[in-house]
This record gives sequence, structure tokens and C-alpha cells, in this order.
Amino acid sequence: MSGTLQVVFSGRRLLFLVTAGGVFVTLSILVFMIVLGLPLFTSNSFSLILTQDWAPDRGFFGIFPFICGTLAIVTLSLLLAFPLSLGNAVLIHLLLPPVAAKFLHRVVKMMTGIPTVIYGFVGIFLLVPFVREWFDSGSGMSILSAALLLALLISPTMILVFVESFAAIPKSQVRAVAALGGNLRQKLIYLYLPGAQNGILTGLLLATGRALGDTMIALMVAGNATAQPESLLDPVRTLTAHIALVMAADFDSIEFKTIFACGIILYLWTATLTLTLRFLPYGVLKSRLNRGLS
Amino acid sequence: MIVEKIVEIKNISFFYGERQVLSNISISFAKQTISAITGASGSGKSTLLSTINRLWEEVGGARVEGRVKIWLEGQEIDVYERQISLPELRRKVGMVFQIPNPLPMSIYKNLTLPLKMAGIKNRDLQREKVESVLKDAFLWSEVEPRLHEDARNLSGGQQQRLCIARAMILEPEVLLLDEPTSSLDEGAVFEIENLLLSLKERCSLLMVSHDLAQVRRVADSAVELVAGSLQ
Repeated sequence: MSGTLQVVFSGRRLLFLVTAGGVFVTLSILVFMIVLGLPLFTSNSFSLILTQDWAPDRGFFGIFPFICGTLAIVTLSLLLAFPLSLGNAVLIHLLLPPVAAKFLHRVVKMMTGIPTVIYGFVGIFLLVPFVREWFDSGSGMSILSAALLLALLISPTMILVFVESFAAIPKSQVRAVAALGGNLRQKLIYLYLPGAQNGILTGLLLATGRALGDTMIALMVAGNATAQPESLLDPVRTLTAHIALVMAADFDSIEFKTIFACGIILYLWTATLTLTLRFLPYGVLKSRLNRGLS
Repeated sequence: MIVEKIVEIKNISFFYGERQVLSNISISFAKQTISAITGASGSGKSTLLSTINRLWEEVGGARVEGRVKIWLEGQEIDVYERQISLPELRRKVGMVFQIPNPLPMSIYKNLTLPLKMAGIKNRDLQREKVESVLKDAFLWSEVEPRLHEDARNLSGGQQQRLCIARAMILEPEVLLLDEPTSSLDEGAVFEIENLLLSLKERCSLLMVSHDLAQVRRVADSAVELVAGSLQ
């Protein structure tokens, strides 16, 4: 076997090992959580944990309010961040003069590197008092405060991915639409948004993953109340915050076991989201192309 | 015989950053003719063309000095006037590029897109116009059964004829052609040349080409650019 072929084969083997290692670690995490949470599954209490309220003093160890809290914060933050990020990406890629666009792009890049705890500080000292004063209700630590801050946290990731997707659209197509008399809005509707749909979905996926997995903002700003939330101004505890709070104070009790249920739910949500979005764009694009509608 | 002008370029100079690409060019082009601009690569032919529909503005870092006048529907228009609507101008001054650039959508959608962007939403009218321009571009019989297939599946020559049809669907008064056959094989070149000759009755064609034989075959007049200046 020639030297070049040997390098190719060993390179392939190395890539295979790295990939297999990644898959193994990912699956191991799931297995680890299932094994450690096994007492929950075997005692038939898993469904109770998923549906009951959290009241350990009365023997209720349900994480349902935390599931609701997590979904409320993540959904609201995505609803706030998505249009903001899309608008920013359009601003950077299409509207601003090159110098200003470059500056804003750098600012956004820098924002991705700011530790979450800094956002948390800003939230506690600026946002929470503002929400408290503005709505004249409660402590200000609430779904709304956490969602606003989380929107700020996840926006840079989305903006960068959206800008990259816009930039990947061939210049020849941009010039074609411009030469046909397309204005900015039309370029966006007929070229950029359809052309960048894979990137937009990817950005949304990454942002959703980041919002689901964030712990610090939820811990610092959401209020950590264990009651079922009834309004956006109610304090809530998220699944990640629950894991962090229980782990810090306990290690062998039913309360402690619930964190594995939280972990499994978070894992399955993220995995489902990833798999859905990985296969969806291809399917959508393919069917649209077949119908000539892309 | 008095020749009616369609485009008049006056003292146009063009700069990419500090680099001057065109130097003080003045020229006019006659209505309903094929006018060719020839010259070596890098002589500024395509840049000159892009000063007419201001497409150069899509690329940052460039500036132009001078004036371009154009006569649309009998009215004199200063292309670089502030109030001018670029989308309106570009609908009246169509453009076809060197490399065919069908958009990533069906053949039918490629042709209805300019209509939609111009506010023509009537579907029957759209269908009528699509059929008409495809027939004009000698493409109808080839694509009729697959109008809803991806336009990028067409051959190079078919793609370019589709792009010409797309530019013609808005009935422009001027059609700018930036080396429209340079990426095509001989058979496709012949088809495009026939198509251009047939379009001359309906609009004025300004064509950039470095192929002198082609210029002799199709153009009514020709000018040569050498290093950004008229020869």
C-alpha cells in the first residue's frame, strides 16, 4: 500500500474513532441518567413526577410546574429573540454601510462570549427592578424578566448564523433579482428568506438548545418559585435551575432522584428538536423543489 | 436619416476605491439596434454597462462621476437623478449576465417573479405572459411539459434563453447583455444570436462582447474600450 493511501486510511480510521467516541459519550449520558433515575421508573412514580406539583413536605415530588416554567421562558424568549435577530441580520447584511455593518457584527460576536452570569447580574440590578416598577407587581423576578434576558443571550447566536446564511446566497442570484427591479423587501421575501431557510432553522435550533440549557439566568432572575405559574409576571423554577438547586443541597432522596427526570426530559427535548430540524429542512426543500415552489 | 437615441453616456468615470476603471467616457446608443461594446478582459466593458442600470451600486466601495440619460416611453430620464426609483428603472432596463443565473425555483416561478415584483398579480395574465415570452425565446416547446421543474436543471443554452425571457417579460425598452454567450457552446450561441436579432424590433440591445466575429454577425454598431477609455 502506498504512503498516500495509508495516510487516507489512517485519517479515516481516526475520524471514525472520533465520531464513534462522540456518539458513545452522548448515549452514555442518556444511559447514565436512566440508570441513576431507575428507582423512579421502577416505583411507577415517574408519571406522578411528571404530572404532580412540587410539595415535598406533603409528599409530592412533581416537576410539572418546572416543565411549565421552562417551556414558558423558552417559548417567550424565542418569540422575542427571533424577530429581533432576523431584523439585526438584515440590518447587518443588507442595510448598513460596510463599516457600520462590520462594527455591529463584531459587537454581536463579542456578545456571544459574555458569560451568562454577567447577563444575570445585569438582569438582577437593571431588568428586575424595571419589571417590578413598570408592572407594579411582585418582586420583578418572573417569567417575563427571565425571557427578556434569555432573548438577549440567545440573539447573538441566531444573528451570526442568520448573517452567515444570507452571505452564502450566491451573488449572481442577488444581482439577478436586483436587475429585475427587486427592492429590498422583495429581495428578502423572494431570495434571502427562502435561500437561507436552512440556516434560519439551524440558528433557531441552536438558540432553542441554548435557551433550554441555560441555568444561570433562570436561577438568578426567574424567581425559583415552585408553584404553578399563572401569568408572565409569576416567578418560576426551570428544570435546569431545579437540577442546580437540588444538587447543591441534597444527594440521596426522592427530591434528588427528580433531577434525573429533569435531565432525561431536557435530553429528550433537545434530541427531538435536533432530529426534527435535521430532517425537516431537507424534506421541505425536496418536496418544494419537486413542486417547483422553492 | 435621423437616428433616435435611447441611451446617452456623458463623461462617465468609474472608480473601485482608488482604482479608476472608466475614464471620461461619452457615447450614445441608437434606439432599436444592437450596439456592441468590445474590448479585452478588464477594459471596463461590464462596468460601463452597469452604469446604465446602476447595478454597480449593489457592490460596495465604488463611485461614479458623470451622467447617463435614457429615453423611456419618449421621456428623457437622468439615471443618476436623486428622485429616480431604481426598481422602476431596472424594470425598463433589463439585464442578462455572462453566466446564466436562473433563480433556485421552477422555470415558471423564474418568469413570474419579475411580474410579481412589478405588482402584476393576475394569474391569468402571468400565465399568458410566460407563454408569450417563452415562445419569443424559442423555448416554449422545450419546456412546456416541465414548467414547474427546477430551472437549474435546464442546459446552459436553455438557462440563458430563460434568463433573456425573464428579462423580457417586463417588456423593457433597453436590454443590457453582458457577454451573454461567452459560457455557452456553439449551438447555444447560434440560438441566442437568433433570439437577440429577433428582439431588436421590440427593444434596444446593448451588448458587451469580446467575440469580434459575433459582433460582426449581430451588431449594428460597435465601440471598443481599451483600458477604460473609448478607442
